[in-house]
Amino acid sequence: MNKKQIVSSSLLLIAIILLALLPLMTKKNSTINLVILLLLYMTLASSWNILGGYTGQTNLGHAAFFGIGSLITRLLWIGGIPFSIAFLAGGIGAVALALLIGIPAFKLRGVYFAIGTLALAQILNLTVSNIFPEMSYNPNLADYQLMPRYYLFLVLAILTIGSAYFLVNSKWGLGMMAVREGEDAAESLGISALKHKLLALSVSAFFAGLVGGAFAYYHVSYYLSMPFGPEWTFDPMMMAYIGGTGTIIGPIIGAVFFVGLKQFLVWNVGEYHLIIFGTLFILIVLFLPGGLVEAWNKSRRLLQSRTGQKKNRVVPIT
Amino acid sequence: MSAPDQDNHVVLSVQDLNIYYGNIRAVKDISFEVHEGEIVTLIGANGAGKSSTLRAISGIIPYKGTISYRGQDLHKVPADKIVAMGIAQVPEGRGIFGSLTVRENLKLATWQRKDKAEISRDYERVYSIFPRLKERLNQQGGTLSGGEQQMLAVGRALMSRGTLMLLDEPSMGLAPVLVRDIFKVLREINQSGTTILLVEQNAYMALRLAHRGYVLETGRVTISGTGQELMGNPRVKEAYLGG
Ligand SMILES: Nc1ncnc2c1ncn2[C@@H]1O[C@H](COP(=O)(O)OP(=O)(O)OP(=O)(O)O)[C@@H](O)[C@H]1O
Ligand SMILES: [Mg+2]
Repeated sequence: MNKKQIVSSSLLLIAIILLALLPLMTKKNSTINLVILLLLYMTLASSWNILGGYTGQTNLGHAAFFGIGSLITRLLWIGGIPFSIAFLAGGIGAVALALLIGIPAFKLRGVYFAIGTLALAQILNLTVSNIFPEMSYNPNLADYQLMPRYYLFLVLAILTIGSAYFLVNSKWGLGMMAVREGEDAAESLGISALKHKLLALSVSAFFAGLVGGAFAYYHVSYYLSMPFGPEWTFDPMMMAYIGGTGTIIGPIIGAVFFVGLKQFLVWNVGEYHLIIFGTLFILIVLFLPGGLVEAWNKSRRLLQSRTGQKKNRVVPIT
Repeated sequence: MSAPDQDNHVVLSVQDLNIYYGNIRAVKDISFEVHEGEIVTLIGANGAGKSSTLRAISGIIPYKGTISYRGQDLHKVPADKIVAMGIAQVPEGRGIFGSLTVRENLKLATWQRKDKAEISRDYERVYSIFPRLKERLNQQGGTLSGGEQQMLAVGRALMSRGTLMLLDEPSMGLAPVLVRDIFKVLREINQSGTTILLVEQNAYMALRLAHRGYVLETGRVTISGTGQELMGNPRVKEAYLGG
């Protein structure tokens, strides 16, 4: 390990320990709920990033996978099946749905996947609200405890980000990035674009489905179509872009920034926060395509080269 | 150069190849062969169908006709398996992954390989052929100069360890000195046992290097022969060698 890796892994460890000890440090449920929201968004944004950021495939319907995970888990769990099984079934259901749309759409290449996922999420949103127009209630309210929910979200966020990290640093991850950079070029080296896209999509959908299941476990009552709403696609996408797509830390920073700014804006300007977010998103995509991570790297390089030049006036000709 | 033994094995055989883009027939009934140990070139003007032919062999675009590699029909074989069978490629425009490092670009070419020890030996071979790449292993592919990118593209094809190498205009956009260097490397690669199919617009360099060549004009093979024959052919001289 080099110095940078030691610093970042110790920071990571501290963050995890603090999050794990949080329930001991505060008794305020509102704080816990806010952190749950943050963890949920980190998981969604990181899982979106595996396909959208690292593999270059624009998924405009991540809510479909989040929604189907929550639907399956909720129905099975409320129906009496042990939560752990219902939870896993939600993740697997999301993968099945992803392959159903991914295999035909990826074979066609181009924009079909983006359009297909967008349509899928909308169709499911409408269908589910028609089939289940009533609010879904958790019948065992008396047993409800916040702590197991909190730790489920925490473990899931760690698992998602950790899996993303190991995946993108593997041989398959390198192949995914090659597909992002150029499909034909990747194929000409023997890297199957289809296989890599499907792998990234499956992992991405699996974690989105699981966090959907956690959502179903967490909420006492909600409309079953709610997690299929477009905001569950576009908010995490925005977070990934704000932080920096195609990086591990980007979606994490993006989620913190997004949730923080949203809290602040909702408090101060109310509904106008939507306009501000929209504008911010456009500005970032236009002027800062690498997000905050890229901005940070750039400014550091700039500082380094400034100070470097002062120390060493003779610039070598290269 | 004189051709290797005539009764050598056929490495690549293309029979009655037709390629359509919608209603446009870009390649019309092309047939040619590449034998073991040869350098064969396809020359022709812009839009003649050279790249389309190579893309069909790589399995990237659909086609009619028969392409077989060492006797095996490639029609149903997906692109990644074609590489695994031993066809290394340098695609048109080089296909460098711009935001990945030189090292990662090279590593990607070994994706289909499992022979670890051989792989590290091949890295050394690439570095000895292109020392410039070794100096720039951590540089992003997109920031390399055009010539360096071409070296990387050829280096990658070497790393994928094909016994047949397809190259699409390796001279494109390079200064004459660099073109000569790249062609020298191609000759060395060929002499160490790799069969080469080279697509070029730079007919002079290509014909000098190749054992045999085919002239492609608006989708058809119009003339074929040994490199020397073609260089002496009045029509080739006029159309491709500047008189
Ligand atoms: N994807 C495509 N869609 C439609 N037409 C295409 C496509 N690719 C190639 N063509 C057409 O097919 C013909 C042959 O193209 P090809 O790229 O094979 O030519 P080439 O010989 O490689 O030319 P160059 O030397 O300019 O690279 C051209 O007329 C081209 O416009
Ligand atoms: Mg071409």
